[in-house]
Amino acid sequence: MSREGQKLDGAGGGAGIGVLSLDLLGQVLDRLREPRDRKACRLVSRAFERAEAAHRRALRVLRREPLPRLLRAFQALERLDLSACASLDDASLAAAVAGAGGGLAGLRRVCLARASGVGWRGLEALVAACPRLEAVDLSHCIGAGDREAAALAAATGLRELRFDKCLAVTDMGLAKVAVGCPRLEKLSVKWCREISDIGIDLLAKKCPELRSLDISYLQVGNESLRSISTLEKLEELAMVGCSCIDDEGLELLSKGSNSLQHHWQHNFLMLTFDLFETLIPSKKLLLFQSVDVSRCDHVSYQGLASLIDGRNFLKKLHAADCLHVSWSPQHYLLCTLISSFFCTYNAKCPIFYVTNKMEIGQRFLSKLATLKETLTVLKLDGLEVSDSLLQAIGEGCNNLVEIGLSKCSGVTDEGISSLVARCSDLRAIDLTCCNLITNNALDSIADNCKMLARLRLESCSLINEKGLKHIATCCPNLKEIDLTDCGVNDAALEHLAKCTELRILKLGLCSSISDKGIAFISSNCGKLVELDLYRCNSITDDGLAALANGCKKIKLLNLCYCNKITDSGLGHLGSLEELTNLELRCLVRITCIGISSIAIGCKSLIELDLKRCYSVDDAGLGVLARNAFNLRQLTISYCQVTGLGLCHLLSSLRCLQDIKMVHLSWVSIEGFEMALRAACGRLKKLKMLTGLKTVLSPELLQMLQACGCRIRWVNKPLVYKED
Amino acid sequence: MEMEGGMSSLETAMKASSSMASGTARNADPDQQTIRSNSVEQFYFPRPGQSLPGIPSFFGPPSSSLYLPNDNEAKVGNQFEPNPSQNTDWDPQAIVSNLTFLEQKIKQVKDIVQAMSNRENQVAGGSCELAAKQQLITADLTSIIIQLITTAGSLLPSMKNPLLSSNPAVRQLSNTLGSPMGFGVNTDQRPSIDSKTDGPDTGKASGYEELINSLNTTQDERDELIKCPNPCGGEGSEPTPMEDHDVKESDDGDHEGENLPPGSYVVLQLEKEEILAPHTHFCLICGKGFKRDANLRMHMRGHGDEYKTAAALAKPTKDSGSEHAPVTRYSCPFVGCKRNKEHKKFQPLKTILCVKNHYKRSHCDKSYTCSRCNTKKFSVIADLKTHEKHCGRDKWLCSCGTNFSRKDKLFGHVALFQGHTPALPMDDVKVSEASEQPQGSEPMACFPCSSSDGISNLDMKMADDARGYYSPLSFDPCFGALDDFTRPGFDISEDPFSFLPSGSCSYGQQN
Repeated sequence: MSREGQKLDGAGGGAGIGVLSLDLLGQVLDRLREPRDRKACRLVSRAFERAEAAHRRALRVLRREPLPRLLRAFQALERLDLSACASLDDASLAAAVAGAGGGLAGLRRVCLARASGVGWRGLEALVAACPRLEAVDLSHCIGAGDREAAALAAATGLRELRFDKCLAVTDMGLAKVAVGCPRLEKLSVKWCREISDIGIDLLAKKCPELRSLDISYLQVGNESLRSISTLEKLEELAMVGCSCIDDEGLELLSKGSNSLQHHWQHNFLMLTFDLFETLIPSKKLLLFQSVDVSRCDHVSYQGLASLIDGRNFLKKLHAADCLHVSWSPQHYLLCTLISSFFCTYNAKCPIFYVTNKMEIGQRFLSKLATLKETLTVLKLDGLEVSDSLLQAIGEGCNNLVEIGLSKCSGVTDEGISSLVARCSDLRAIDLTCCNLITNNALDSIADNCKMLARLRLESCSLINEKGLKHIATCCPNLKEIDLTDCGVNDAALEHLAKCTELRILKLGLCSSISDKGIAFISSNCGKLVELDLYRCNSITDDGLAALANGCKKIKLLNLCYCNKITDSGLGHLGSLEELTNLELRCLVRITCIGISSIAIGCKSLIELDLKRCYSVDDAGLGVLARNAFNLRQLTISYCQVTGLGLCHLLSSLRCLQDIKMVHLSWVSIEGFEMALRAACGRLKKLKMLTGLKTVLSPELLQMLQACGCRIRWVNKPLVYKED
Repeated sequence: MEMEGGMSSLETAMKASSSMASGTARNADPDQQTIRSNSVEQFYFPRPGQSLPGIPSFFGPPSSSLYLPNDNEAKVGNQFEPNPSQNTDWDPQAIVSNLTFLEQKIKQVKDIVQAMSNRENQVAGGSCELAAKQQLITADLTSIIIQLITTAGSLLPSMKNPLLSSNPAVRQLSNTLGSPMGFGVNTDQRPSIDSKTDGPDTGKASGYEELINSLNTTQDERDELIKCPNPCGGEGSEPTPMEDHDVKESDDGDHEGENLPPGSYVVLQLEKEEILAPHTHFCLICGKGFKRDANLRMHMRGHGDEYKTAAALAKPTKDSGSEHAPVTRYSCPFVGCKRNKEHKKFQPLKTILCVKNHYKRSHCDKSYTCSRCNTKKFSVIADLKTHEKHCGRDKWLCSCGTNFSRKDKLFGHVALFQGHTPALPMDDVKVSEASEQPQGSEPMACFPCSSSDGISNLDMKMADDARGYYSPLSFDPCFGALDDFTRPGFDISEDPFSFLPSGSCSYGQQN
């Protein structure tokens, strides 16, 4: 895109662009996907800058400091994302909002997820400045409570609100919102454990427009469902982990729906159930399109069966992790009902998840055949499967697009070949930990599934380059392949290099892979985005040089325990401008020189893992502090840094929110104290040794907590490293 | 109330025995009642238990052939009482003889009753005679019951059968009679009465007296009946609706849930004066009023020895025949009230207490004011007391200023009224403000983010660390780029740098 900008420049000069109307330029900008391209345009021409100022609708702010200026500059904003805005607090938010003048009049959506520093004052200011506010996301602001809810309740036009994990929100806060925002359509109060039936009842009475409600993990009981059943427009209800809700409540729900049948019929699209023991079979004609019964500890087949019974147009059934379901007569019931359901209503059922700890019986097999053409996604993760089952699936479900057999025992070559024989549309196959399969299975996959895009073969150690060769030649669309722990070698990579569309390549624990293999990949797979070379310890700097040369688009790179890598290797990586996540765990040879080339070169770096990089010292941190301005997550456990380096780092990195610093034996208590005080307002997560808990000053810890920082204490003895 | 406890076991024992007597007693009940209704006028009628055993009735010559309570009792007593060892033995012969005796006696009573009913059909008058007859029958039945109980009691020691003892009636019996002496226990509970009773049978079996008393108490109920004016008259021979009003009711009058079909109950309406009268039980001799019947009975002792007998003092018990009587409900005298019988959707009140509470709450001034809040007023003193228990503890506040003692009440209120919203407790705000105040006022002594000049203010005590790592130089670059954060139009009283640690200056102390 920057090239395009240059072209435009070349054609008419800077003034040429100025001739175009702001509208047109805005259209151009709208079509730019990459933020850095937009930035390039902005930098190239003032006209673009003006156009962007007038046209920009969405803004994601990463730092607190430019916030007032940005809000002043972009007057047409509709969506503001402050979730990654480091060290945002009440005062800065209020100041920025006040400074923006009328610029926020059009603002509709604000995301404040994890902005734990923002309290009710900031929210009050925000709400006061944004009269058209429609959606606020306050999820994971752990400190947020009733007062914050009350502040938001002043936004009368609010339609969407997320309170996920706002642990201090109680019935009072909910009541405030319910009364203040009568037009609420979507509300999530997931994990707000203080909310009780009374609050939900009031909500149901005051917010009749609710279409989506998430009450997962609340301690509410059946009474809540009685109230909820009066919501006529409800389409989506999630109640994962509501352990106090049982059959009775579900019955209430269906009774309520009975009286409101007409309203519900076309609205009830998704119902997420968790823990229901037996749902009384109800003959209501509800239109559940998706049912998620994952993590249902006590779900039984009767429950599922009655759920399915009478609900046509079910689109998804997700029954992952149903712990207490076992092979039993009820199983038969389920199968019968599922099949009768599918047969009766002939509904389109593209997805069927039956995951974990369910045994598949012969009955199921026979019934699967009846699903025939409707099923497109089948996940049988963690099940005991047999060849005959796979064959039945293959024969029955010809339109399968995705099959998940992760951690299924009993998957063999024969099973796979009979499965894929008639499922030529398969695009995603997950065979994680199916360690019985060999090249034969890969051959049959390659022969039948020409459209294959995703193949996961983690821990399938019997496969080798021959099988992969077949895959690579027959499946040109392959975008993702997971070969973790498959023991593949350079020859396999040579074959895989034919897949030029490859985006994700995972080669963890394949220690025989060398620079040669990496060179094959880098020469052909220019679109690679994610590369996992965990413990591929034959890889040296040359491999990285080839990689940096060929795969410029890499965003995620894992080089943990590739201990032959030195500073010069990291020097090559410095050319990967788009790199966001880099894991360099236990690269003992790298020093501040390597770190500096990364910090300077990889401008987009967000996450960096330097755990056990013993040679990284204060100088390394210093370079990071000066250059890696976007760094949000950092692990420096076991590094040889001192308090000085730490202070420098923590006081400079404005975006840093999450730091793990365990076993920093060179850092004195004062060092920790000062460093943490320096970063106090912006840290959200902290991992430290438990020993520090008592020696750090209590007011510092209080302060950290008040700023919304969660500290994870690691209970290990402090190791003093003599060097 | 202690007495009540003592009596209740006897009552149940009686019931048990009456049921054992193959319904004889029960069959006799309606007749008994019929007769009793005639004696409505008699407030303190000499009771059979007290007059009959020794003193010949002055109402008429008892037919000596069948009325020999003393003898019977003596016989029974002699048979069982003096010999405790016999008690424990199973003696079929004794039981057979007892039963035959009972049979005869029941037949006799039956005859009398039949004769009475025939006579009633012919002549309506002669109430005096009838009353006497009724006394006789009562006494007879009493003795029958006693006989039965003693017979059954003799079996008790041998009843170790769990099946039998699991029967509550039997258990009651054994409670009453199961002591080795058969009758020792209950007399202990009422020594005062025991000492006061004089009669031929006192020495023989004090337990009998208990039973008789308990039987006679049924008669006390008539006294109760007087106190509620009976619209049905009670003059005729038809059974009088009766209900024991002395039994404690749950004090609230809200019994709407029962939904009796109209016509299935008798409606009584008390006058306003009666409802509001402080006393409901009046002494007929001196006119003193009492709230409780028991107090009246205690008072009556002062009026003569005849009121001192156990029977006179015994608590009136629930009439065994009340189950046959139609259900009684009450109407509020206030015309237009839903509880008034003229009302279209009349909802009757269940007990007299309900009537009183309802009338006071709905149609009287609220004269009791809460001394704590001085706002809430009540017309029933119990309501005031209930309120005072909770007064001042209202912590759930609505935006309209209304207080609630319970969250669900507040939420119900909020749900009901448009625009009302729960008010968050104000102390919450104060606390959070207080906690943020010191942060704001904290001097910017230490470094982060304040300004690049802040570095000079750094507490250099840190430098005395052995490693001497604290070189301000290394800080310079990072602070150069620091906060260009200005405050355009900043109108919030708090300091924007409130994130600064509160104890920034306290480093030296840490060393």
